[in-house]
Amino acid sequence: MTQPVALRTLAETEAARLPALLARAERLAGTVLLGEHGRRRAGLGDDFWQYRPAREGDSRRMLDHRRSARGDVQFVREREWQIAQTVMLWVDQGASMRFSSSPNNADKIDRARMIGLAMAILLVRGGERVGLTGTSLPPRRGNAQILRLAEMFSRDEPRDYATPEHRAMIPHARAVFVSDFLGDIDEVRLALTKAADRGVRGALLQVLDPSEESFPYQGRTIFQSIAGTVSHETLKAGELKSRYRDRLAARRDELASLCRATGWQLGMHHTSEPAQAALIWLYHALDGSTR
Amino acid sequence: MTILGGIGFATPWLLMTLLALPVLWLILRAVPPAPVRRMFPGVVLLLGLKDDENVTDRTPWWLLLLRIMAVAAVIIGLAGPVLNPRANTEGRGPLLLVFDASWAGAPHWSDTLEYARQVVTEAGRAGRPVAYLRLTAPETPIFQTADAIAGAVAGLQPEAWQVSQDLTAEAVAALDSLEGTFDTVWMSDGLDYDGQATLRDALQQSGTLRVVENSRPVLGLAPARVEDGAVLVPVHRSLAQGTQNLTVLAQGRDPAGTARVLATGQVELPAGELSGDVTLDLPSELRARITRFELLGQRSAGAVTLADDGLRRREIALVAGRMDREGLELLSPLHYLDQALQPTADLLTGPLLDMLPANPDVVVLADVATLSAAEEDALADWVSAGGLLLRFAGQRMASSDISRDVEHRLMPVRLRAGGRTVGGAMSWGEPKALAPFDKDSPFFGLIVSDEIRVTAQVMAQPDPTLASRVIATLSDGTPLVTRKTLDQGQIVLFHVTANAEWSSLPLSGLFVEMLERLAVTSSSKRPEAEELAGTNWTPVQVLNAFGGLEDAGNLPGVEGPDLMNSSLSDALQPGVYQSGDRQLARNVLGEGEVVPAPAVWPDDIQVDGLNLSKETELGGGLLSLAAILLALDVVAALALAGRLLPLRIAASALLAALLFLPPNPGVAQTDADIAAARASELVLAHVLTGDAAVDDIARAGMQGLSDTLFFRTSIEPQNPAGVDLERDELAFYPLLYWPVTPDQPVPSAEAYAKLNAYLRSGGMIVFDTRDGDISGFGRTGPNSRRLQTLAAPLDIPPLEPVPQDHVLTRTFYLLQDFPGRHAGREVWVEAAPPDAEQIDGMPFRNLNDGVTPVIIGGNDWAAAWATSPDGRALLPVGRGFSGERQREMALRFGVNLVMHVLTGNYKSDQVHVPALLDRLGQ
Repeated sequence: MTQPVALRTLAETEAARLPALLARAERLAGTVLLGEHGRRRAGLGDDFWQYRPAREGDSRRMLDHRRSARGDVQFVREREWQIAQTVMLWVDQGASMRFSSSPNNADKIDRARMIGLAMAILLVRGGERVGLTGTSLPPRRGNAQILRLAEMFSRDEPRDYATPEHRAMIPHARAVFVSDFLGDIDEVRLALTKAADRGVRGALLQVLDPSEESFPYQGRTIFQSIAGTVSHETLKAGELKSRYRDRLAARRDELASLCRATGWQLGMHHTSEPAQAALIWLYHALDGSTR
Repeated sequence: MTILGGIGFATPWLLMTLLALPVLWLILRAVPPAPVRRMFPGVVLLLGLKDDENVTDRTPWWLLLLRIMAVAAVIIGLAGPVLNPRANTEGRGPLLLVFDASWAGAPHWSDTLEYARQVVTEAGRAGRPVAYLRLTAPETPIFQTADAIAGAVAGLQPEAWQVSQDLTAEAVAALDSLEGTFDTVWMSDGLDYDGQATLRDALQQSGTLRVVENSRPVLGLAPARVEDGAVLVPVHRSLAQGTQNLTVLAQGRDPAGTARVLATGQVELPAGELSGDVTLDLPSELRARITRFELLGQRSAGAVTLADDGLRRREIALVAGRMDREGLELLSPLHYLDQALQPTADLLTGPLLDMLPANPDVVVLADVATLSAAEEDALADWVSAGGLLLRFAGQRMASSDISRDVEHRLMPVRLRAGGRTVGGAMSWGEPKALAPFDKDSPFFGLIVSDEIRVTAQVMAQPDPTLASRVIATLSDGTPLVTRKTLDQGQIVLFHVTANAEWSSLPLSGLFVEMLERLAVTSSSKRPEAEELAGTNWTPVQVLNAFGGLEDAGNLPGVEGPDLMNSSLSDALQPGVYQSGDRQLARNVLGEGEVVPAPAVWPDDIQVDGLNLSKETELGGGLLSLAAILLALDVVAALALAGRLLPLRIAASALLAALLFLPPNPGVAQTDADIAAARASELVLAHVLTGDAAVDDIARAGMQGLSDTLFFRTSIEPQNPAGVDLERDELAFYPLLYWPVTPDQPVPSAEAYAKLNAYLRSGGMIVFDTRDGDISGFGRTGPNSRRLQTLAAPLDIPPLEPVPQDHVLTRTFYLLQDFPGRHAGREVWVEAAPPDAEQIDGMPFRNLNDGVTPVIIGGNDWAAAWATSPDGRALLPVGRGFSGERQREMALRFGVNLVMHVLTGNYKSDQVHVPALLDRLGQ
C-alpha cells in the first residue's frame, strides 16, 4: 500500500510536472493557431456558426473584436462544425523512449508527449473529442480532458518497448500514434489493421533521436536497451553502421507500406529538430483526413 | 661504461630486461581493449548482426608494436646510452696532460682545448687528479682535482715558438720532481723536435702514454725575398699530403694609413711537394708598404712572416754637380732621376758627407767629376760596405781628368779625354741607338726601344777588364753602362747624362726600368750574425702563437748575434726588433728554414687523431620517445575503443590551428623593396654570426629593445633585421649589434671595407663579447680574443672605459653603469680628446663632438633585452627583484644607446645643465 506521504510527494511531483508540460504544449499549440490565422487559410470548420458571449477560460485571442466593439459585451465567434470528430492518441510511454544522445536534445518521450498534448489542445480548442486509445481515458471534450491527458502522459511505463494500444477503438474515429516504432512491428501491424477494419484512420509519427538515425559509434561496445532487457556486444561498432541503417530503413519501409495499405500517414520527427514542424505536419495530416 | 656497437651504456645490465619483451608481446596480445557500455534503444535492430572479423578481439599488431617500442625505449633509455663515448682512459692514478702548445698547434687550438676538456671531464668522473704541462713554457705540474684544473686548462694558450732542446730538458726535470706514477695524454702539435724522444721515454716510465695529434699538415711561411723585381714568399708544409691550394695575403697600410690586404698570391702544392713559392709581382711603391705576409685561413705564428727592411723603400741620395743653375728644371741633371725614383724610393738631397751617415742604399752622382778627399774616402767606405754608387757622365766629367790614366777607385772604367759626339751639326755619323742587352747584363730581358738615340757620351778606354764590366752598349758596340764591384758594393756608370742633354734615354720608360733593375739588385741584404756583434735589439712588436702582432711591452732586448742565431723562446719571441734606425724581423721560420718534419711515434704508443666527436647522451631522447609513443598509444587505444572525438572535430580543430598560424612570410621581396622599407623606417640591426642560438637571442634582444623604445620614447622602430656583413647594405641601420662568438668567421676584405665606410659615415657598432661573467680583471675569454681578431681591420679610434660624464650616461635616463645580463665588465667607447678638461662649475667636460663609432662590452645585453613575441622576457637576469632591476637598467642602457646614436651629443648641450643638476639632486 502506498504511504500517504509518499503518495502526496508523488502527486506533488506529478502536479509540478503537469503545468510545465501543459504550458509548453499550450505555447506550442498557440504558435500553430497564430500561424493558421495569419495565413487566412481554410481550417477546421471555417463557416460562421454564432457569436457567443465570452466566458471565463476564453483567451483574449479568441475574442471577436469587430463584434465586441459594437457594445459592452465581449463575444467569441464560433464556427460551425458539421461533425464533431473523435481523435484517439497513443503516445509511447515505453522505456525506449526515455533516451537522448546528447544534452542538447530532448528525450524522445518528452518530445512525443509534448507533441501529443499540443495536438490534443488544438483539437479540443477546435471542438473535437480527444482521448486515449484503449479504455483508460475515453474521448471527451473540454479543457478538463486536457488536464486528464496530461496526467496520463506523465505515467512512465517500465517496459522497454511499449505496444500500441488498439483496444476499444471507436469506429470511424481518427487516431494518432506517436512512438519510435522500434519495438515489435507485428504489434503495430495488428493495431493498424484492426484500426483499418473499424474505419479508423490517422497518422503515425516516428520520433527518433539523431544518433539512432546516424549510428555514430565506434570500437568495442555493448549496446543496451534502456531497461536493460536487450543487449548486444560488438567489437567494431563502426562496421555495423551501414547494416544498422539498412535495417532502420527497412523498418521504415515496412511502416510506410503498412500505412499505404491502411490509409494512414507516416511522419518522421527527430528530437534535434523543433517540435513545431512535427506538430504542423500532424495537424495537416489530421486536417486532410478529417474532411 | 660498456660499449656496444659504438654506443656506450652506463648500466648495461638493464638491457637484460629487453629479453622480457616477447613475454610482454604475448600478454598484451591477448588483451582486447575494454568495451564501452552504451544505452541505445536501437539495439533491437542490431540483434543478430555479427562482427566480420573474429581476430579483432586481440590488440592490433601495430598497437602492440607501438607499446613494445615504447617499453624498449624506456629500457634502453634507462640503461644510459651515450653516443660516441669517450674511450676509457684506463687506470685510476693521476693523469698528466702534456701540451706541445707551440705555434704549430694554434690553428686547431680550440679543438685541442675541447679535447683536453673532455679528457679532464672524463678524469673527473673517474675521480682522478689531473695536472697539465706546457712544453713551450714548462713548469712543475701540480695534481689537482679535475674541477679545479678545468678552468686553468680552458685558459691555456699556445706560444709562438717551437719546443726546443732546452725546454724539453726543463720539462724532463720538472717531471723528475714528480713522485709516483701517472698516466699521460700528450696533446701533440704533430711536429718533431729535439728532445721529444727523451721526454717520451720519461713519460712512458711514469705510466701509460697516449698521444693525441692532428693529422693535418702544418703550414708555414718563410721570410719573403725579392728576386728579379718580384717578391717570393716560400710556403712550406710538414706533410706532403694531397694537393693544397694556398693563398698568401700581403698585409700593409694603404696611403691613408688603414691596414688592408695589399695583394694576394696563390700557390698550388701538388701531392708530394713540401714547399712552393708564391710570387707576388708588385709595384715597388706597394711592396714597400707590406708589413707582413700571411697564409689565408691559417691562424698561427708560423703562417705569418714579417717583412723588415728587406722590403722597405730604399733611400737614395742624389748629388748633382751643377747646383748653380737655378730655375732650369728640365735641364737639371737630377730632374729625370727625381721623376723616375720618386714613386719607389725616399730621396735625399744635400751635401754628400751629411747624407752618407744616413746610410742610403744608393748614392747617385750626376755629372760629378771630382770629390774632396774626405768625401771620396767616406764614399769608398760606404760602397765597400755594400752601397750602390750610380754615376752619370756629363760635361764636367768629360772635361775632367778623372780616371784618365789610372782607373779611379770610384769609377768602373778609365775614360778617354773629351768623349765623343755623334750625329751633331759639327760631326759625322748618325746618333746611335742601343744594342739589345747581353745575357749576362742585369738589364737582360728589357725591351730596347728603337727611338732612343745617343748623341754624346764619354768613351771608355779599352782595358783588359772592360769587356766584363760593360752591361749595356750602343749599337756600334761602345759601352753605354759599365759596372764594377768594390768589396760588397758596386759602382755603375752611365756614360751619358742623367738629363736629356746627351741622349733621349732619360725620356724613355727604359730608363726607369734600368734604374729599377739596378736598385733591385742592390736591395739591402739581411745582415750576418757577425756584423751584429755588439748591437742590442729591442722588440717593437711580437707575434703571438695565432699570428697576431702584439705590442712588445717591456720585453727585454736581445744581443745582435742571438737575434740571428738563437732559437726562439720566451726570451726571444718572433717579432719586429729595432736597433737605432734599423728594423729586423725575426720570424718563426727563418730564411732557408722549413716546417719541421712530422713527429714519429713508436708503435707501442697509442696515437689518436684530434677528432672531436661529441659525447651525446641518448637517454633523455629515448625516454621522450617513449613518452611520445605512449601518448600515441593513448590516442590509438581511444580510437580503437571508439572514444576518440569524431574526426570531424579533430579536423576542424586542425583547421582552426592552421588559421591561427602566423601568415606566411615567404612573400618574395625584392632588394629594392627591402631597401625602401629600411630607408623609410628606423630598424635596429644585429650582425648574423652563423650561430643560430646567438642570432636568435640577438634578434629577440633587438625586438625587446625596439618594443621598449616604442613604449617609452618617441623612437618607433620597425622589426629588427639580421645583417649578413657579406651581402647586406649597412647604410640603413644607425646601429649594428654584433655579438661575438669564438668561432665566427672573419668577414672578407670587402665586408671590412663596407664596415669601415659605415663607421666613417656615422654608424655605430656595439660589440658584445657576452662573457662579462667570466672575463674582466685582466682575464680574457675566447670571445674577447675573437673580438680582437674581428676588430683589428676596423678603423677604430682610441678607446677608453666610459667616463662618468660621457653623454651615454644621460641621453635619456641618468645611468651610472651599463649592465646587461651580466653586470661585469667595463664598457669602452671612443676616448675623449686629450685636451678635454673640466671647467669649474660645469658638471661635464665638453667631450668629443659626434657619436662614438664603437661600443665594446661583454655584458650580453641582447640576452637581457630579449623578449618572446608575446612580450615575456626570454632569459632570466640575476635573481628576484634585483635581477628585474638589472634588466630594467639594461633596457635603460639600450634606450640611452639608441638615443645616443640618433641624437649625438645633444645632451652635452649646456642648456640642460641646470635642469640636469636639479634632477641629480646634488
